[in-house]
Amino acid sequence: MSQGISPLADALVSCSNARRDTSRSAMPTYKLTYFDLRGRAEPSRLLFAVAGVEYEDVRIQREQWPNEKASGKYPFGQMPVLEVDGQVIAQSIAIARYLANEFGLAGKTNLEKAKVDMIVDAIGDVSKGLGEMWFANDEAKKAEAKEKCLTKTIPTTFTGLEKILMTNNGGDGFFVGDSLTMADLIFLAHTDYHVDQLKEENTMAAFPKLTALRERILAQPSVKQWVEARPKTKI
Amino acid sequence: MPKHRVIYFNARGRAEPSRLVLSAAGVEFEDVRFTNEEWQTEKATGKYEFGQLPCLETDGVIIGQSRAIARYLANEYGLAGKTNLDKAKADMITDACEDLLQGMAKIHYEKDEAKKKELQTEYGKKIATILAALEKILTANNGGDGFFVGDGVSVADLSFFAQMEYNLSSAADLLDSYPS
Repeated sequence: MSQGISPLADALVSCSNARRDTSRSAMPTYKLTYFDLRGRAEPSRLLFAVAGVEYEDVRIQREQWPNEKASGKYPFGQMPVLEVDGQVIAQSIAIARYLANEFGLAGKTNLEKAKVDMIVDAIGDVSKGLGEMWFANDEAKKAEAKEKCLTKTIPTTFTGLEKILMTNNGGDGFFVGDSLTMADLIFLAHTDYHVDQLKEENTMAAFPKLTALRERILAQPSVKQWVEARPKTKI
Repeated sequence: MPKHRVIYFNARGRAEPSRLVLSAAGVEFEDVRFTNEEWQTEKATGKYEFGQLPCLETDGVIIGQSRAIARYLANEYGLAGKTNLDKAKADMITDACEDLLQGMAKIHYEKDEAKKKELQTEYGKKIATILAALEKILTANNGGDGFFVGDGVSVADLSFFAQMEYNLSSAADLLDSYPS
């Protein structure tokens, strides 16, 4: 800090600096670290976008990851992680839920939050099924997993989700309550895979309300803006 | 008439964390345990959106998904962690326990002996990574002499306990390298 022209000038400078510092410390600094993919970080990125909150969107290239992992900074040796004011949170849904709670996008009552969580975990079951289908190491397992996904996991879960959606304002709004929550955003991120990678299988065809919900979420200005601006990645 | 019905099979499994949360909170609940036949009948009623258990029935509302239930009960009864950050830490821990549960289930359902051995080796590495991480998280909180999060028992501790009952039953000395 420069020695001022006069004590008054000094005082004025340090006053305005103090004001700047206070406003900076009111908002935590967020740093989200993941691969250069949508994947498990996209729910959190969507939450930041909808909340209009700035964050550092760190994308680690595959080649860099072994070194990064060896640094010991990742609690479970995995990404994504969120750093907030020096604290590290791992586990993608724990991160998303933390941000949703901070930004008022988690549901309003404990019961609403439970419904949001239920929806998010059900979607997670489908994600897991898709993973088993795409990343199985032998053809037999792959075929088995695909069969299970397409005939059991997706239909059962999407039927449940459509049912839950319909109980909320006839299914023409959002999953829970009167406004967008983390449940809708995670549904959006997840259904990107159905629309892109499962086009042939047309997995969403039997679910008109869910399909309309996806469009409705995409049409939200903050979501639309992020989807257009974000790095384009295959997954 | 208790407010909550915890509905599951006659096992600890995915319902135990929720039962532990209610017990720790001193809240009475109806501990409903279906046989497989009873469940087939119940499931056919269509009352369970995802056709799965556990479910929680509270004031006529049905919530599915084991961790959503445990978290809801923990939030209702002050066992979730106090701040959003503490809750996030608790979630991180219960999610890690879920990874352990899923790893176990995968091995259990694998019929091929060779594949099973492979999975077991992988799982051994996973357990080591997760337990090391949990030990670190624990010791970062009051030197590790209290609980995972904050100053008291939370859903994180109870989920860990429930999961360890399974892991310890196949490897009684599993926690020996993790003093905290």
